[in-house]
Amino acid sequence: MRQVGIVGVGHTRFGKWSGGTFMDMLCAAAVEALDDAGVKLREGHGIDQVFVASMGSGMVNRQSGVASALVDSLNLRPAMAETIENGPASGASAVKLGYMAIASGLCDAVLVVGGEMMRVISGWEGTDFVATMLHTEGEYNYGLTLPAFAGMFTRLCMEKYGVTEKDLSIVSVKNHENAMHNPVAHIRLVPSLYAIAEDEDANVINPYVADPLRMYHVCPVSDGAAAVLLCAMDVKDRFLKKPVKIAGIGQATDTHAVAEREIPTDLLAVRVAAERAYKMAGVTAKDIDVAELHDAFQILEIVESEEVGFFPRGEGHLAARLGDTKIGGRIPINTSGGLKAKGHPLGATGVSQIVELVRQLRGEAEGRQVQGAKVGLAVNFGGFGNNVVATILTNQEED
Amino acid sequence: METKMFAYKCDNCGELHHPKHYVCRKCGCRDFVEVPLEGEVILLTYTKVYNLPEGYMKPFMAFGIVRFENGLTVSGQIECEELHIGMKLRTTVGVIKEGVGKDYYGFIFKGI
Repeated sequence: MRQVGIVGVGHTRFGKWSGGTFMDMLCAAAVEALDDAGVKLREGHGIDQVFVASMGSGMVNRQSGVASALVDSLNLRPAMAETIENGPASGASAVKLGYMAIASGLCDAVLVVGGEMMRVISGWEGTDFVATMLHTEGEYNYGLTLPAFAGMFTRLCMEKYGVTEKDLSIVSVKNHENAMHNPVAHIRLVPSLYAIAEDEDANVINPYVADPLRMYHVCPVSDGAAAVLLCAMDVKDRFLKKPVKIAGIGQATDTHAVAEREIPTDLLAVRVAAERAYKMAGVTAKDIDVAELHDAFQILEIVESEEVGFFPRGEGHLAARLGDTKIGGRIPINTSGGLKAKGHPLGATGVSQIVELVRQLRGEAEGRQVQGAKVGLAVNFGGFGNNVVATILTNQEED
Repeated sequence: METKMFAYKCDNCGELHHPKHYVCRKCGCRDFVEVPLEGEVILLTYTKVYNLPEGYMKPFMAFGIVRFENGLTVSGQIECEELHIGMKLRTTVGVIKEGVGKDYYGFIFKGI
């Protein structure tokens, strides 16, 4: 099997896209990644395949066949093109498919772009759209939403492990602090831990969304796009940048209806996806220097940090209290600001996580750099954990 | 109007499922018989949601995951003022969503 690396990254500022159409947004990220890799956009560009990750382009933006449109817009014809939908894990799924296309020998270079433009619809419509990934008869028809499941999951973790609302706020503040050093992050402010967790007016400053989850424990609704250019390691000399190697990929699924899970505080698919990625990469949790975990809700960063093996079960919140997950701590998590502060344009998120790891492993994460980072882990979480993709990157080359 | 909700019991091994699956998770059988889901349940976890999706004109709604006496766990709406993990609720079936030309029925768990 051929080795695969990443030679180009691009990323729009997350938040409210004001640079034109949905397609303009995808193009902006794509062109940045191609420029980063030194690809000349003319005949003989060498891009064999384009994957576009988007959960809602058809429902939200009334646009289907997005990958075909992007290929034409960038004049990358006759490259192959597919649009990938796997809920909020669409981005990492598209990167995985890009890896497979190259590893199999079908392609030498694959452009992967993830994007979502959600700010064109109301909050009500957006909440409804995201909830369509839940089980239709057993969940969605009840009015259940992703925040609802996160609220119920958080309550169980509080009961079982002693997680507190303040712990969720500690994780949130840490991610907001990191985002201040990320120029593409959506939210550029750092809330006061006292104000959102302890002040007598905290109920007003930080109101409940799905109790016990409050506003600062939940990611914002964002527009945005991110792109990566993958290539076979045996053709890396065609590109400007030294490749960051994709060392391992793991993916796993779990029950669609959350209530059917044997242990409701388990994120089984996270654990299995990470185990598979570690095995493929030949590393363990101890080898990871930096991680991007899917913190759509702050409880997820805590529990995922346990499921991927950074901390024992039930101790993720204790590690966050000690500052172990800060930059400079034992294992820095969400140096980009995470979904909480960098933002969460669904289809873009998995690609964006990979972009952050590439920046870290290249030593380009100015202001938030993890010194000497060699191996990074990304976890992209679909549904309420029913489809999870883990990806491991390294800047260490081997023969 | 629907007044009952069902579990789906595997015709071969007896494994209970809810929601419906096409294939039994234990033995792979594809035939099921409907078994009414009713009676008292135990509340396993819950939340009150304040940003409801399109179509729900209420300031908030409560949801929970409960366990039936037969061991099945399901999600549903809750109508009860005071909630705590481990409390007993009673099962009712009612309109959980008003659709255009069709209402959707499901579990609404209420205080005893």
